[in-house]
Amino acid sequence: MPRIITCFKWVIDEADIKVVADSRELLLERVSYKISDYDRNAIEEAVRLFEQHGGSVAAITVGPPAAKKGLKDVLARGPEKAYFVNDSSFTELEPAQTAAILAKAIQTRIEYDLIICGEGSSDLYAQQVGPRLAELLGIPCATFVNKLTLDGEQLIAERKIDDGIEVVALTLPALVTVLPDINTPRIPGLKQTLEANKKPIVEITVKDLNQTFTPCLQTLKVRGTTMERNCQKFGAEPTEISKFVEALLKEGVIA
Amino acid sequence: MAGVWILADRREQTLELLNIGREIATRLGTRLVALVSADLNQAQEYILHGADEVLIMPPLADEQPLSAYVPVIAEEARQNDPDIFLVAGTSQGKEMAARIAARLNTGLGSDCIGLNFDETQQKLVMDRLIYGGAAVQTVVCLTCPQMATVPPRMFAPATPQNGRQGVVRELAPPPPSGVKILSRKPREHAAGDITEAKVLVCVGRGFENQADLKLAQELAETIGGVIACTRPLAEELHWLPERSYIGLSGEKVKPELYIGVGVSGQIQHTTGIRDAKVICAINRDENAPIFDTADYGIVGDLYDVLPKLTEECKKALGK
Ligand SMILES: Cc1cc2nc3c(=O)[nH]c(=O)nc-3n(C[C@H](O)[C@H](O)[C@H](O)COP(=O)(O)OP(=O)(O)OC[C@H]3O[C@@H](n4cnc5c(N)ncnc54)[C@H](O)[C@@H]3O)c2cc1C
Repeated sequence: MPRIITCFKWVIDEADIKVVADSRELLLERVSYKISDYDRNAIEEAVRLFEQHGGSVAAITVGPPAAKKGLKDVLARGPEKAYFVNDSSFTELEPAQTAAILAKAIQTRIEYDLIICGEGSSDLYAQQVGPRLAELLGIPCATFVNKLTLDGEQLIAERKIDDGIEVVALTLPALVTVLPDINTPRIPGLKQTLEANKKPIVEITVKDLNQTFTPCLQTLKVRGTTMERNCQKFGAEPTEISKFVEALLKEGVIA
Repeated sequence: MAGVWILADRREQTLELLNIGREIATRLGTRLVALVSADLNQAQEYILHGADEVLIMPPLADEQPLSAYVPVIAEEARQNDPDIFLVAGTSQGKEMAARIAARLNTGLGSDCIGLNFDETQQKLVMDRLIYGGAAVQTVVCLTCPQMATVPPRMFAPATPQNGRQGVVRELAPPPPSGVKILSRKPREHAAGDITEAKVLVCVGRGFENQADLKLAQELAETIGGVIACTRPLAEELHWLPERSYIGLSGEKVKPELYIGVGVSGQIQHTTGIRDAKVICAINRDENAPIFDTADYGIVGDLYDVLPKLTEECKKALGK
């Protein structure tokens, strides 16, 4: 019976980000937060395997106190328990730090057979935390997995690589990162949301971990990308469509 | 001993990394070292293309994944202390780079869309997209080696220079790994290469059935274009091959004309069409974000618009 951990990140919803046209500064005051898209697939896959094989399923996240909001959300998606490694300095962690914090927290306090992470986070999308975490824990890993089967002590993973598909067997304990087409994440209903309130949350502080986590990368600057375009709209009536075609002819892009 | 190291799982990408690696190595006044799988003939070719040293990874057993080499490469790096380590940003490359970086406890800039070498600070200044493409983050690595993954086709391949000499050395075979390959299936190939096409008709979730894509196909044929798509159509619905999708995690394209049909225009997608000369959109939702990034848009139902548009193009182009 597998003990499964699923890692998730509480991130800015990138659709809410506005860019100041001249300075290309990002406006983040009005953004909302969400569980990183790919992590929803990771959570779903963990819960799916748990429903099939029993065992246990816990979610873990690293973040500043504000990430607390994500815990109810994750628990409503099915995990039985959540771990929250929390510090006010954890606002802009780079992947090496996140992986090191997760590794230390998992190593010192959570027993597991399988760890499932998303392909990348929807904010930084560095695609590093999963494989780094596996290395730090010294366990086998497969990235970009789009099909997962648990077969006793073995995990069979179908992974997508540039040349095609590779089916691999991993000995447990192991870590996988999953692609979005592995499943369709369930949307929690009222019942699941109420149940989530009763599930245990374990808070872990940096002090508990007894280690400092220094960054390996330094961000020099962040600037918004802009796309200046015509933004001319036409209707669907024949006269409008011919105006549209005229515009393309004038641009010289169809011939 | 230092040096600039490069690692790629395929020849094309090795040649690209040899090009940028050679430039950085020269500016750093150090050696360029290429890590390659198996083939000795290729080692000589890579030396002609700029490598000072080639480290050969001996052939793997059928069941051994490329990542079995992670501990060997990390150990080699620990002993030789490279300054910079560039890895091709393929899916295998990204995994290898992250794992090697973890073992060396060093930083890694993922999927760098810009790499500049700052000579005064001896730093690789890396640009990468964050927030789905809404912003560019510029990072430097505080630890050594400074590592980066580089997406394919970011640099031109290196050109050979006659008479270049170099050293070839074979690495130790990898230790047994906890990952065993059971089988491999090659990837299906896309009909037209979307990165080369001048005109792209990009289909999105607005299409209700796979069969309906013929409406887009007819338009594409009329205006000399190739069909591309959004990620869900390739990765979730599997209506089109994976090499057909545009965006952050898909292909970056530079056509003269892009027409997005039933595409909402989420930032992760539009990041891939930034360099298109003209962007057009067909969407029934007049508030769809794609209209903000389009030069010309038609607000309407694609099932109504596409046949009319194809007709109109035929007329206009005398076909
Ligand atoms: C980290 C990350 C990376 C990603 N990478 C990529 C990537 O590389 N490429 C990519 O494409 N996506 C990527 N995505 C997904 C991306 O965010 C969007 O979900 C995706 O691009 C949406 O595809 P779509 O526009 O086809 O579908 P939808 O967003 O569902 O939009 C469908 C559109 O069709 C319109 N429509 C519906 N019916 C009709 C009709 N009859 N006529 C006209 N219009 C109609 C609707 O109004 C809507 O605007 C990524 C996401 C994340 C989080």
